Amino acid sequence: MVPDAGRQARRGGFAGRLVRSEYFVLLLCALYALAAYPFVPVLFSAEVAGNMIADMSPLLIVAVGQTFVLVIAGIDLSITAVIALSAVVGASIMTQAGGYLPGNGGVLPAILAMLGVGGAVGLLNGLSVTRLNMPPFLVTLATRMFFAGLAIWYTTFHTTSSSIADLPPLFTGLYDFVVLTLPIGESVLTLPLLPVLIAVIVVIGAHVTLSRTMLGRWIYAVGANRRTARVSGIPVESTIILAFTICGVCAALTGILMSSRLQTGSPILGENVLLDVIGAVVIGGTSLFGGKGKIVWTLSGVLFLVLLDTTLKLLGASLFLIFIIKGAVILAAATLDTLRNRIFVEH
Amino acid sequence: MSMNRRDFTVGTLMGLAAMSGLTVAVRAEGDKTIAVLFDGLYSEFWVAGIKIIRADLEKRGFKIMEAISDKDDNKQFEQVKAAIAQKVEGIIIVQTDSNAVIPAIKAANAANVPMVHFNRPPAQSEAFSVAIQADNQKIARDAVLYSCEVAKASGKKHQAAILIGNLGDPNAIQRRDGFDEAVGQYKDVIDVVARIPTEWDADKAFAGLTNALQANPDISFLFTSSDFLIPQIQQALEAADKWAPIGDDKHVIFTGFDGFPAAYGLMKDKFMDACGVQNLFYETTLAIQAILDLKAGQKVEKLLLDPGFAITQANMEEKKGEMWGYVLWKEANPG
Amino acid sequence: MSEARPLLSVSGLAKSFFGVRVLHGVDFDVFPGEALGLVGENGSGKSTCVNIIGGVLKPDAGEMSLNGAPYHPLSPKGAASAGIAFIHQELNLFGNLSIEENLFIERLPKHRMLPLIDRRAVRARAVQLLREVELDLPPTTPVARLSQGERQLIEIAKAISMNAKVVIFDEPTTSLTRHEVDRLFTIIARLKARGIGMIYISHALDDVMAVCERITVLRDGAVLGGGPRDEFSLARIISLMVGRAIDTIYPERMVPPRADPVLRVEGLAQPGVAKDITFDIKEGEVVGLGGLMGSGRSELARMIFGLDAFSRGRIIVGDKVLANPTPREAIDAGMAFLTEDRRGEGLLMDFSIAENTILAALGRFARAAGMLEWRKVVTESKTMAGRVHLSTDRVVETRAKHLSGGNQQKIVIGKWLMRMPKLFILDEPTRGIDVGAKQEVYRIINALVEAGSAVLLISSEIEELMGLSDRILTIYRGELTGSFARAAFDREILMGAVTRPPRAEAG
Repeated sequence: MVPDAGRQARRGGFAGRLVRSEYFVLLLCALYALAAYPFVPVLFSAEVAGNMIADMSPLLIVAVGQTFVLVIAGIDLSITAVIALSAVVGASIMTQAGGYLPGNGGVLPAILAMLGVGGAVGLLNGLSVTRLNMPPFLVTLATRMFFAGLAIWYTTFHTTSSSIADLPPLFTGLYDFVVLTLPIGESVLTLPLLPVLIAVIVVIGAHVTLSRTMLGRWIYAVGANRRTARVSGIPVESTIILAFTICGVCAALTGILMSSRLQTGSPILGENVLLDVIGAVVIGGTSLFGGKGKIVWTLSGVLFLVLLDTTLKLLGASLFLIFIIKGAVILAAATLDTLRNRIFVEH
Repeated sequence: MSMNRRDFTVGTLMGLAAMSGLTVAVRAEGDKTIAVLFDGLYSEFWVAGIKIIRADLEKRGFKIMEAISDKDDNKQFEQVKAAIAQKVEGIIIVQTDSNAVIPAIKAANAANVPMVHFNRPPAQSEAFSVAIQADNQKIARDAVLYSCEVAKASGKKHQAAILIGNLGDPNAIQRRDGFDEAVGQYKDVIDVVARIPTEWDADKAFAGLTNALQANPDISFLFTSSDFLIPQIQQALEAADKWAPIGDDKHVIFTGFDGFPAAYGLMKDKFMDACGVQNLFYETTLAIQAILDLKAGQKVEKLLLDPGFAITQANMEEKKGEMWGYVLWKEANPG
Repeated sequence: MSEARPLLSVSGLAKSFFGVRVLHGVDFDVFPGEALGLVGENGSGKSTCVNIIGGVLKPDAGEMSLNGAPYHPLSPKGAASAGIAFIHQELNLFGNLSIEENLFIERLPKHRMLPLIDRRAVRARAVQLLREVELDLPPTTPVARLSQGERQLIEIAKAISMNAKVVIFDEPTTSLTRHEVDRLFTIIARLKARGIGMIYISHALDDVMAVCERITVLRDGAVLGGGPRDEFSLARIISLMVGRAIDTIYPERMVPPRADPVLRVEGLAQPGVAKDITFDIKEGEVVGLGGLMGSGRSELARMIFGLDAFSRGRIIVGDKVLANPTPREAIDAGMAFLTEDRRGEGLLMDFSIAENTILAALGRFARAAGMLEWRKVVTESKTMAGRVHLSTDRVVETRAKHLSGGNQQKIVIGKWLMRMPKLFILDEPTRGIDVGAKQEVYRIINALVEAGSAVLLISSEIEELMGLSDRILTIYRGELTGSFARAAFDREILMGAVTRPPRAEAG
């Protein structure tokens, strides 16, 4: 037992405060952007800024959902399958090439069906974790494989090609429904406002839920210590199920935005975003062990990842290099998370 | 502290860039860049393709912005937007999904950046882009016709099998049609007993061919819609005791497609009778020329066909110089 | 006795952590064949002292001598080879190894000729050592199968085998049954007979009085008093420790229990855990539940609170019948439960005091759409911190894990007080906390009960049960073996009731 002095949080001076700060990752983003500027001057153009904000939106929404699941000490690997399955289900309903409700009239039912697919898969994940007492990693690995396969199989009934196209103009126009066009200097900022607006609403809603509501307290408590939460009268199982359902619905929302953007329902849509999503959340500082995480952190994490992606893309770095760098950054973030707790805070 | 971190970041970036063999300043002012966006480097065909495009562009003095989407159409769309922001002269693209690429074409149209699809055409739409495509049906037909002649000359009847690609891929469908067209002219000699769907999956191809050989042990005529399946085919034929060179009684008349280095190897060793070759060198020239023409305001057709050619045991020596697989094979086996 | 030369002598010991002085020149002597009781509240410097003696920490100043020779251990290993054995609170044994392997892990006897372990020598020596600590088990038993008390005996046997001159006990009785404690004391007496000196640290002052020949009281890193046990009374030790006089440990309650039952348990049964248990608790009543570890006392509480299932019976709280309760239903019915696992089930260690305090009463702070009124959370948490006499009122900044055990326990209590429980079940509420904090816990319990709530108190300390309860129920292997009114409290009889099956008691 270390005596009283050890109980006091240790101040690590300026560097310590900085590393512990909420805005540390945001600061890193700024520093990184400055450092990258000489190599990719176009990074600071309005056009690239607009692209980055547009690129962030779908990733951000699915990452917000993942944050809920990580905070309750779970993980959801099935998000990519949800994106793909919701995309093809929605497209199969409204496609003008033989959909169930072809044309603009089918858009709303299709969107509801897509969100329903996300909610249903999330619910299934949550039920399997709580009722069958299976580890989330295993459950969602299984549902990921199952529903990714289902998405491809389902597609074969609705098209002879590999994806479902010919979506109604109301849906394909959704992504670009209102586009902000703002000439700044030589460059033009073009920003599709609807996806950005949806992302902003999701972020604010999730932030308020986690930080200001009773449900938020439940989620943190369940993630931090399930037994204490149970003894304190928190409905542990419902909280877990709800977190997975929220995650599924968020993934479906991303599926809607992506398929509207690509004007196609593709069964391999989002197949490769898992690393980006979990990476962004972890870079933000959310713990994989649960009980610790914030939407603001996820926002910073997504920003950092998109910034990294954009600079490497503009530099023309090869895919393999991008993977290596992203992997290294995520590893560094995880290490930093351990370090900043150990060195700069307390024992 | 900020200086240290900045120095560190700059240093790291430079180090990584050097490691990857990139020149750091990809886009110096005044240089013209062309974006080359592939969906993956899944077989030697695509590796060779990007290599040939790279070499050709460098020869002409272009800078290259390369990106691979890893079959992620959403990411490829973002890559197209980034390329547009980089003010590239043009975009050479290999998309994963023929429908999902259409918004990217529209974005390029809006920015007035010419876009050329390399080897894989997009779906029909009002958006304008140029597709370079091998004349799959003709190339397949020509190659298979040679093999049919071989079959006829043997004086025996032959049972035939075809490994079909992914039916969502127009290339696969056209190759199948070319095969059908050819064997249709030799109904008296060739009876097609097995049509094996592979979905461009090597494991499925192996399983399908193995099953077909068990059901029809007399198969003696085989066409594959892509050479990347050669290792699986060899394995399946060996297991069925049918892997034998031309002249041997057990020889299966074998026609390939694509013109892989492995296909050249088999031709040379007399295991393969003919192969439909996509002319990668020609397709590259077409793609770059299309971008230059569009940039210069000239009209270019939406679809440019690579006539390709069939390389056969008969014309091998004279034609092999145009076969990309031979060029790569030669590199790997000098002397 | 005091004329003898001290075995271990410590003088002027000083130590600071991060600029904070935690020891201000501590002196004491340990004599051969005697035990020195080192007592003080949490944070008074006891652990720092023995960690210095055990070579874990280096002193900033001060002298130590062992057997008259200067003693400056450089590491725990150095201390061990000098003859200091340290029996820690958390025992350092390998569960996957056998008793004999654990005994000789540091220096397994080698075969004379071959580079192999001499199994036979190991076995013979282990049997001998186990006999000395009265442990009747084969030396090949894996340590994982031993109870906490048995493991402690292994540690003592290890100390004997290493010819320790001084043995340090840090809270040796916290997780022992009474029977195990008695056995431990017998063995301590035997060690004394061999001339071994001991330092005995414990919050259980009765034990200290029973075992130790000398007592040194520490407060805030300084020695407040020291000398032969006969010079100390329990009251004097406590007043030295906490810095003020304390008349009685267990405060008197002014209000007697009322007639209305708050809780009725009817025929509760679960195979292997509980057998047809029926009892009730009235408003304003403290019912003590006495039993050995594993008697089913905690399990009974968990079943009442809905944490564990039961196969038959029902629970009635007020006018609500709970046939198959969940913790949530139990809480809604007016129950609160302080479990024996404070860290694992009571607190979110990484979270702030405020976040912990509101956990069971979130509904109170929720407005429309489940939005929490954060300002109200902070003010009420502060009020609660004051009510339970928490050492800090920085309820937002301070995390639970940075507080002492006593303060942590107060947070858990405060969390439940937020709900004004009709029935508060307390499972070992004072385990491992110091006497000052204990008193505060008792005071809080009394205030709650005087306001009309009922308490079900589980404790392995018979004195605590006797001091606080209006009535004591005894439980043995899942069966209630007796119910004793306050007038009938008798230590011997109660001890008998918790250690004997009901038939023997009835006869």
